Amino acid sequence: MYDLPAPTLEPTRSSAIHRAVLLNGALPGDETLNPIEQSLLTVLLERRIHVRDFQLRNIPLAFCQGCFECWTRSPGLCKTDGDAGREIAAAMIASDLTVCLTRVTFGGYSSEIKKALDRMIGLVSPFFRRIEGEVHHRTRYRSYPSLAVVGITSEPDLEEERIFRTLVARNARNMDSPAHAASVLPVNLPPSATRGRLEDDLQPVLRSLARRVA
Amino acid sequence: MNGRRAVLLIGSARPRGTSTSEVLGGHVLRRLADNGIRTRAFHVSRCQRPDKERSLLQAVDEADVLVIATPLYVDSLPYLLTRCLERIAEHRRGPTPRAEVRLLALVNCGFPEWEQTRTALDICRVFARKAGFSWTGGLGLGGGEAIAGRPLAELGRRARHVTRALDLAAEALIAGRPAPPEAQALLSRPMVPPLLYTAIGTIRWLRTAHRHGALRRLKDRPFASR
Repeated sequence: MYDLPAPTLEPTRSSAIHRAVLLNGALPGDETLNPIEQSLLTVLLERRIHVRDFQLRNIPLAFCQGCFECWTRSPGLCKTDGDAGREIAAAMIASDLTVCLTRVTFGGYSSEIKKALDRMIGLVSPFFRRIEGEVHHRTRYRSYPSLAVVGITSEPDLEEERIFRTLVARNARNMDSPAHAASVLPVNLPPSATRGRLEDDLQPVLRSLARRVA
Repeated sequence: MNGRRAVLLIGSARPRGTSTSEVLGGHVLRRLADNGIRTRAFHVSRCQRPDKERSLLQAVDEADVLVIATPLYVDSLPYLLTRCLERIAEHRRGPTPRAEVRLLALVNCGFPEWEQTRTALDICRVFARKAGFSWTGGLGLGGGEAIAGRPLAELGRRARHVTRALDLAAEALIAGRPAPPEAQALLSRPMVPPLLYTAIGTIRWLRTAHRHGALRRLKDRPFASR
């Protein structure tokens, strides 16, 4: 049985008005994402966003077997139980914002992030709809969280950055996210600069949350 | 026998003999074998144990050709393949000069439009660059469920253009040149008209759910309060 709850971080200023799920996709042994995660948490908590923080490398999570039973046998539920998959799915659908923190990996996400996201297909329906000329899956729930993905690079790579931003936009379209944002940051950026960049880059999702309150 | 070696990485987690990725990659591998190239195929789902992973890395080290055949998962490569590529890139990092290894990527998706595979193909191309492979090209196939693990020959005329496209890609690998644009042009032609494909897909989901006794629960929202 999965019994390693992800810590919940509460804003200190006043009661939380939004919920976010943070998926930290650092690979085992890579500690370079820790300071960036701290800056990210600061940005979210200051905006009274209650954060559920999943350190993916430290929690039991099986990979998607491609069986589609989450669509046809136990609709909405992955058949794999006893790991963190269902807990992450439940937390994501109950949240206003999903934030992924990852190394930019050949222009995509790290394997830890992919392991979690691949398990989330039960959050949509197997049936089809057409969006901007492409076939996608219909939604299962009435609403979905916005999506923000923070990608960390060791060296600038414009091709990777372009692919990464396209991937975030496509994920947001498939998951019916009301808003999305991608931030690509160098790993050695000082914390104060990291925070400033995050505040700028995540504006589309932060503004969207603010509008929901208004 | 010309002494050249080719390795196929199958990114699907489905059991052996049931995935479209295995059919597509297997076809290219057979064409290479027909030309005297020694071939090996790895299901990345079976290479997670350290000894199996070592065997895969060694095979890639010895290869002249690497073929990646994978389904699209959430707009990019599946976890298993992403992890495998991370390991290969890490293994090949360093100053040791290596002989040229050509890489071909084949990405199939369940949506009718092959264009939805572009991001995954781009990721494969960047992997090739970062891990020191020579990029032969990437081919995307939409409507992959029209194959669903069945041999291309069994599908008759419907898949003849797919066979031709894969043959062109295999010829390019053998000759050491980029995959011709004609190969993607061929793969862009749907095996089944898109409207019919999605209608068949819908019927398949309904039938499978019915078989599992889940037909009335298809719209369940197990985590709803929303």
